[in-house]
Amino acid sequence: MRSTPRPHAELTATLAAALSALGLGVRRNLANWPILMGRALFYLVIMAVLSALWDKVAGQNLPGTLANVLPPGGLTLYVGATEWIMLSIAAIHLRLEDDIRFGHLEPQLLRPKPYLLQRIAEAMGDTLARLLGIAVAALVALALSGRSAPPAIAFAYVAVLGVFGGAVGVLLYTLVGLSAFWVRRVLPPYLIMQKSMFILGGLFAPISLYPDWLYQAARLTPFAANTFIAGNQMIAPSAAGFVAGLASQLVWIGIIAILIALVWRAAIAKILREGA
Amino acid sequence: MPAIITVENLRKEFRYVRRRPGFAAGLTGLFARDIQTIAAVDDISFEIAARERVAIIGPNGAGKSTTLKMLSGILEPTSGAARVLDFVPWKQRRQLAYRIGVVFGQRSQLWAELPARDSFRLLRRIYDVEAKTFEVRLAQLVERFGLGSLLEQPAQRLSLGQRMRCEIVASLLHGPALLFLDEPTIGLDITAKGAIRDFIREHAGKEGQTVVLTSHDTRDIELVCDRVIVINAGRIVVDQPTDQLRRQFLGHRLVTLRSTAPKIEISLPGVVRRVSEPHISIFEVDTRTTRVDAVLEAALALGGIEDITIEDPPMEEVVREIYAAATR
Amino acid sequence: MPALATYAANVAAAIRTSLMDRTNFTLQSVGMIVNDVFFLVLWYMFFAGFRKVGGWGLADVALLLGLIMCIVGVSGIFFGGYRDMAATILRGEIDALLTQPKAVLVRLLARESIATAWGDLIMGIWMLFTFAALSWSDAALVLAGLVCGTVVYIASAVAYASLAFWFSGARSFARDLTDFMLLFSSYPGSIYSGATRLIAYTLLPAGFVVLAPVTFLRAPSLETFFVLVASAAAYGSIAALMFQLGMRRYRRGEVSTG
Repeated sequence: MRSTPRPHAELTATLAAALSALGLGVRRNLANWPILMGRALFYLVIMAVLSALWDKVAGQNLPGTLANVLPPGGLTLYVGATEWIMLSIAAIHLRLEDDIRFGHLEPQLLRPKPYLLQRIAEAMGDTLARLLGIAVAALVALALSGRSAPPAIAFAYVAVLGVFGGAVGVLLYTLVGLSAFWVRRVLPPYLIMQKSMFILGGLFAPISLYPDWLYQAARLTPFAANTFIAGNQMIAPSAAGFVAGLASQLVWIGIIAILIALVWRAAIAKILREGA
Repeated sequence: MPAIITVENLRKEFRYVRRRPGFAAGLTGLFARDIQTIAAVDDISFEIAARERVAIIGPNGAGKSTTLKMLSGILEPTSGAARVLDFVPWKQRRQLAYRIGVVFGQRSQLWAELPARDSFRLLRRIYDVEAKTFEVRLAQLVERFGLGSLLEQPAQRLSLGQRMRCEIVASLLHGPALLFLDEPTIGLDITAKGAIRDFIREHAGKEGQTVVLTSHDTRDIELVCDRVIVINAGRIVVDQPTDQLRRQFLGHRLVTLRSTAPKIEISLPGVVRRVSEPHISIFEVDTRTTRVDAVLEAALALGGIEDITIEDPPMEEVVREIYAAATR
Repeated sequence: MPALATYAANVAAAIRTSLMDRTNFTLQSVGMIVNDVFFLVLWYMFFAGFRKVGGWGLADVALLLGLIMCIVGVSGIFFGGYRDMAATILRGEIDALLTQPKAVLVRLLARESIATAWGDLIMGIWMLFTFAALSWSDAALVLAGLVCGTVVYIASAVAYASLAFWFSGARSFARDLTDFMLLFSSYPGSIYSGATRLIAYTLLPAGFVVLAPVTFLRAPSLETFFVLVASAAAYGSIAALMFQLGMRRYRRGEVSTG
C-alpha cells in the first residue's frame, strides 16, 4: 500500500481538476447567455461613447496637442481592445471575499493548493467565455461601423495577447481577493487595483501618450501587460511587438503567481495561528 | 348586525402561457401562444358582519390569498362585486386603507434594518395618526404583546414569532375596525402561534374589531374563529359557524400505534382501521362515538405497544371530506 | 404639508438604515470620492494633452461632472429607491405598500438611501465650486439646472423600472439602462453625433439630464430655460404615465412576481 500518491500522479490530478473547473466557468457563462449579452451590450454602449470621444479628438486635430501623435482613425480600435479585456475579467476578488468572510475555507484547509487553483481556473473560464461573447459583439459592431480595420494578423495577435492579458487581470484580482484575510473588506484594495489598471494599464489611452516619466514607469508594471500590450497591437501591429508582449505577459503571470503562492502561505499560517 | 363585507359572485382569472417542452413546440410557441386561463377564485359570494371572526381556509392554491387581496384592494377581480366598509376595495383603495389593517404572513411591513419602534413611528405618519392617540395606543399594544425590549432591535434580528407580533402591532396602530390576516401563523412554533391566536380572541373581541384570516392550519379555526369559510379550487365549499363544522367534519382523530405484534385490532364502535405497514396500526376514531382515551385503554390492555401518536386528520383530508360531503 | 412630512419621515428612516453599518457606509462613500477624484485626474491629463474637445475645455467638463455628481448624489440620498425599483416590483414587495394609504411610487422612491451617493454629492459640490468656473451669481441658475436635471434622471429611472410590469427581464436590465444613461451623461455632449446624439436626447436622455443644464448655465436665456423646464415636465409625465399603466397591470394580477 502506498502511503502517499506519487508526485507525477498528483500533479496530473491537480491539473485535471483545474481544467474541469475552467470548463465549468466557460459553460456556466455560456449557459447564462442573457447575462453575457447584457455584458456585450454594456461594452457596445461604452464603446459608442468612447469612440465618439476619440473620433472627435482625432477629427479636430488641434495644433500643439498630442493629436498629431494619434494613429489615423483615432484611438477607437485601441480602446475597443482594452475595454474588451477589462470587461471580461471575472470578479474573483468578490468570490474570494465571500469564501473568506463566510468561512467556506475551513473544509479546504487540508488541501490548500487545489482550492485556490480551482477558483482561479473557474475565473479564467468565466473570463474566456466573456472574451468570446464580447469579441463577437465587437467584431460585428466593427464590421457594421465601416471603420478601416487593421490587417487580419493584428486581430490574431490581439486575440492571443487578450487571453493572456485577461489571465494577468484575473491573477491581480486574486491578490485583491486574498487581502480579505487581513482587511475584511476588499473594496479599498479593489479600487486601488482597478484605478491602477485603468491608468498604468492604459485603458482609455495608450500609455505611450503619457509624459515620458509616467510612460516608462507604467511599462514596468503588470498593468501594462493586462491591457496596453494587447491594445497596442490594434494601432501598431508587429510580430516583434507581439512576441515581446507575450513574453512580458508570461513573465508577469509567473511573478504574480509566485506572489499569490506566498500570500496564500502567509494567510494559511495566519489561520492556523488565529483561526478563521 | 349589518354586513361590513359583502361579496357577490367574485371571480378572478389568471392567464398564463403554457409552454411545452421540445424544440418544435418552442418554435410554434413563437407564433401561436397557448394561453391557459385558471380561475383562482371562481364565483364566490358571502357576507361578513361587524365583530365577526372569520377564517377562510383551504389547501394551498385554493384562492384564499387571492380573495384577501381583492378585499383589501390590491387586486382587481375579473368580474363580480364586493364592498368592504362601504367602499369598493379596488376602486377606493386609499380611503379603505385608513380603515383596515393588513398583515401578510410572508411579506413584511417593517423596515428590516431598523428597530421596530422606528417602523411604527413611520407608520404613524403614513396613516396620519395624531401623535397623542398614537403614543397611547402604542404603549397599550406594546404591553399587550410583551414587546418591550424587542422594540429597540433591528427587525431582521427578531425571531419569526417576535416579528409577527410586531407586524400585528404595526397593523393596529391606526385603530382599524377591520383586520385582514393572510397566513399569520405560517412557519411559527407552537408558543408563537398560541400568542397570536390569544390576541385575536381577546384583543379583537374587546376592541370590537372584525377579523378575517386565511390559514391552512385547522387549529386556527378551532381556537380563534367563530365562522369558517372553506375554499377549494376557487369555490366556497362550506360556510358555517365553527361549532357546526367541528361537529360535522372534524369529529375524528387519528391514533397511530407502533407495536411488537405485526397487527393489532381494536373493536370499539366508531373506530375504523386504516391500511398501514406491519407493526404500525392507524385508527380513525370518531370522537363523537368513542373517546380517544378509551381507545388507548384498549390498546394498552393488549400489551406490546411501543409508541403512540394522536393527531388531527390532515387538512387536505378534512377539506376533501368536506368537499365530498358537499357534493353528495 | 402632510405629504411632505410623510416623505421626509420615510427618507429619514432610509438614511438611518444606510448609516447603520458605519464601516460599510464610510467605505462606500469614501470609495466613491476616490473613484470620482480618479476620473477628474484622467480628464485633467486628457485636457493637458488635448486642450479641448468639441469646444469643451476642462472647466466645461468639470461643470458637467459636477452637475451629474450632484444629481446622482441627491437622487441616491433622497430618492434612492429608484435604483433597484424593478427588482422591488418583481419581488412583489408592492403588496404591502398597496395596503397602506399613501401613493406607491412615492413610497418606492423613499424606501432606500444609497451610501455611495454621499460621496458623489460631496465631490460634485466641490467640483462645481473649484473647477467649473462659476460665480456666486450663478447659484440660482445652478439650482434650476440641478432640479430639472434630477427630475429627468429620476423620471427616466422610473420609466426603465416600470418596464418590470411588462417584462420580468427588466429586473437587471432596468438598472443597466440607468447605468447607460449615467455613462452618456459623464462625457462632453459635443462628441455625440448621429445615432448616439439621437439616443442621448431620447432614450438615455443625457441631453436633458446634464447637457441642457450646462448649456443653460453657460448661456442663460429664456430659450435654454424653457428647454430645461419642458424636458423635466415631459419626462416626468412619461414616467408617471408608464408607472400608472404598470400599476394597473399589477393590480389586475397580470404581473408575475416571485
